[in-house]
Amino acid sequence: MAGPLANYRFWAYAGLAVLLLALPLVGDEFWLNRVAKYLCYGMLGAAVALTWGYAGVLNLGQGLFFGIGAYAMAMGLKLKSYTSLQQGSDQPVPDFMLWNAQPGAPTELCCITPGSWLWLPFQWQWTGVIVAVVLPVLLAGIMGRIIFGQRISGVFVSIITLALVLLVRLVVVDAQPLTNGFNGLTDLGWLTVAGHEFDPYAKGTYYLVAVALILVLGLSRILVATRAGTILQATRDSDTRALYLGYDVPAYQTFFFAVSAGIAGLAGMLYVIVSEFASPSFLELSFSITMVVWAAVGGRGSILGAAVGAILINMIEARVSETEALVEAWKAIIGLLFVVTVIYLPKGLSGLAHDGIARLRMRRPALRLKEEAGQ
Amino acid sequence: MVDILFIGLSLSSILLLVALGLAVTYGAMGIINMAHGEMVMIGAYTAVMAKIWLGLGLIASIPLAFAVTALAGLAIERLVVRRLYGRLLDTLLATWGIAILLQQAIRLEFGLSFLGIHIAGLGSGLQNVPVPAALQGTVRLLGHDFNAYRIFIVAMTAVLAVATWAVMYRTALGMKVRAIIRNPQMAAACGIAVARTNALTFALGSGLAGVAGVLMAGFKTVAPDMGATLVVDGFMVVVTGGVGSLLGTVAASGLLGEFNALVAMASNDIIGRAAVFAVVIGVILLKPAGLFTFKGR
Repeated sequence: MAGPLANYRFWAYAGLAVLLLALPLVGDEFWLNRVAKYLCYGMLGAAVALTWGYAGVLNLGQGLFFGIGAYAMAMGLKLKSYTSLQQGSDQPVPDFMLWNAQPGAPTELCCITPGSWLWLPFQWQWTGVIVAVVLPVLLAGIMGRIIFGQRISGVFVSIITLALVLLVRLVVVDAQPLTNGFNGLTDLGWLTVAGHEFDPYAKGTYYLVAVALILVLGLSRILVATRAGTILQATRDSDTRALYLGYDVPAYQTFFFAVSAGIAGLAGMLYVIVSEFASPSFLELSFSITMVVWAAVGGRGSILGAAVGAILINMIEARVSETEALVEAWKAIIGLLFVVTVIYLPKGLSGLAHDGIARLRMRRPALRLKEEAGQ
Repeated sequence: MVDILFIGLSLSSILLLVALGLAVTYGAMGIINMAHGEMVMIGAYTAVMAKIWLGLGLIASIPLAFAVTALAGLAIERLVVRRLYGRLLDTLLATWGIAILLQQAIRLEFGLSFLGIHIAGLGSGLQNVPVPAALQGTVRLLGHDFNAYRIFIVAMTAVLAVATWAVMYRTALGMKVRAIIRNPQMAAACGIAVARTNALTFALGSGLAGVAGVLMAGFKTVAPDMGATLVVDGFMVVVTGGVGSLLGTVAASGLLGEFNALVAMASNDIIGRAAVFAVVIGVILLKPAGLFTFKGR
C-alpha cells in the first residue's frame, strides 16, 4: 500500500467529514436541524451496509434497533420534559400515564400504570443514552447467536428480523399505558451535558450528530479492513468454505450484526435528540425497507456510499416535498429508482464512482506507474 | 366456541387466499414477490372498476380480475424478475420497488391526475364493492348464525386451493413446474422451457392474488395500500408451511388463522397478531425448512 494519503477512499471520507463540519457556515438553524436528522439516517445506511454489504445478511428489521434507541432516549427526555414535572408529584410523571391511569392510582412513577416502574431508571438521563446503544447490541448478540448458530441464512434471516420488528411494534402499540401506543412519545425535554442543553435547533446539536456520524463511518471503515472484517467478507462469499478453513463463522456474523445494531441504536438516540419524538412508525416494515433502499442506491458494498445515499435521498425528498403535488409522485420516483438500481446498478452510486476512478486511472499510465513503484 | 373457531377459519381462508399465489411463485421459482399484495390490490380495484364502468357484479368480475392480474404478473416477470433469477434478495427489493410504483399508479390515477383528469374508482380515496344480495345476511347452521359472505369466502378458498392443486399435480404445466422446483438445470436438460414455464407460473400466482383481491373487496374497504400488510402475512404462511409444499401452505394457514383467533379471544386483536409473528419466528428457528417439506434439491 502507498499509505492512506494516496488512497482515494481516504480522501472521500476526509472530504465528507470536512463538508459536514463546514455546513453550519452556510445554513440556518432550521435547515441544520433537518440535515441532522438525515445524518442519523446516514448512520442507518452505514449500519445496513455493514450487515448487508459486508456480511451478506439482509436485516429487514433494522428499525427494531433504531426504535429501541429512540424509545430509550425518549423515555429519558420525556421525564425531563416540562409537562412531566407538572403532574402534582415530586417525581416527574409522563402526562399520558395520567390519562391512562386507573382511577385512584397514585401519581407516582412506581405504580401509576401497570409496568410504569420500568421508567424509574430513566430518571437519570444517562440511562436512556446507555440503554439506547447497549440494549440493541445485547439483543442483536442473542439474536445472532441463535440465528447464525442454527446456520440460518439468506432470506430466512430477513423474514425472522422482519417478523420480530413487526411483533415488537404491535407490543409497543398495545402497551398504551407504558408507551403511549400509536401516539408515541412527544413533548420531550432536552439532553443536558455538564450544564449545556442540547437545543435541537442549535448548532451544538448539529455538531454532536455530525461528529457522531464521522466517527461511526471512520471506525466502521477501519473495522471492516481489520482481519475480522476480511474474514467476515469471506463468510459472505462462501460461508461453507470459511467454516471448513476453521473460522467460527457464526461468531463473526454475530459480532458484526451486533455492531450494526449498536450503530442503529445510536442513530435512533440521536434522532430523538434532534426531532423530539419517538413513535411506533420507526418499527414499521416500510421504514426498515426504506433504509435498505438508501443503502442500495448509495452502494451496499460501501459504508460511505450507503451513508451518502441515505443523506442525499432524504435531502432531495425534502426539497421535492415542498411542492404539494410532487409528494405522491416522489414516492413513485423512489420506487422506480429502486427497481432500476437493483437491476442495472447493483453496486449503487459508490460502485459507479469506483468504476469511474478506475477508468480514469487506466487513462493515466504515468500515475499508475508511479503508484506501482510506491507499492 | 364454534363462533371463535369460525372466525379462525375465516382468518385462515384469507391467509390462504393470499398465500396460494405466493406458494406458487415462491415455492416454484424461489422468487420473493413483495408486489404480491399489490396484485391483490389490483384485483380488488378491478372489481371496483368493473362495477362502475361495466356494471359487473362481484362474482362476474372474478375471471376479469384473474386475467388483469395475470397479465400484470406476466409483464413484471418479463420486465424485472427475469433479469434477477438467482439473486433472491435482489428480487425481494426490486419487487418492493414495483409495489410502491403500483400503489402510486392507482393513487395518481396512472399520472393522469397531474393533467387534471380523474377516473371514477381510482385515486387515493377508499372504495367499496357491494356484496351480491344472495350473500348478505347470515346463515343458520347447526344452531349458530354465520355470516353468509364469510362462508362464501371459505368455500371459494377451498375451490381455489383444489384448483391450484389440480394445476400443479394434474396438468402438464404443473408437472414442469414441479420438475423445476426439484432441479432447474436437470429440468432444462430434459427439454423443459424453464424461462417460459416460470413466466406462466408467475402469471398464475399473480392471477390467484387477483381473485383474492376481488373476494376481499367484499368485506374490506379497497385502498391503494391495502396489499402492503397482506404480503407479509402471506410470506409467514408460506415459510411456516414449507417452501414448495402446497399442503404445507394450506395447513399453516389453518394453524396460524385459528391460533390468531384463539389468542385474540383471550386477549385482544393486536396481541393475537403479535402471537402469530412469535409462532412464525419459532418455527423458522426450530425448523428452517418449514413444517411440511420434502427432502430434495
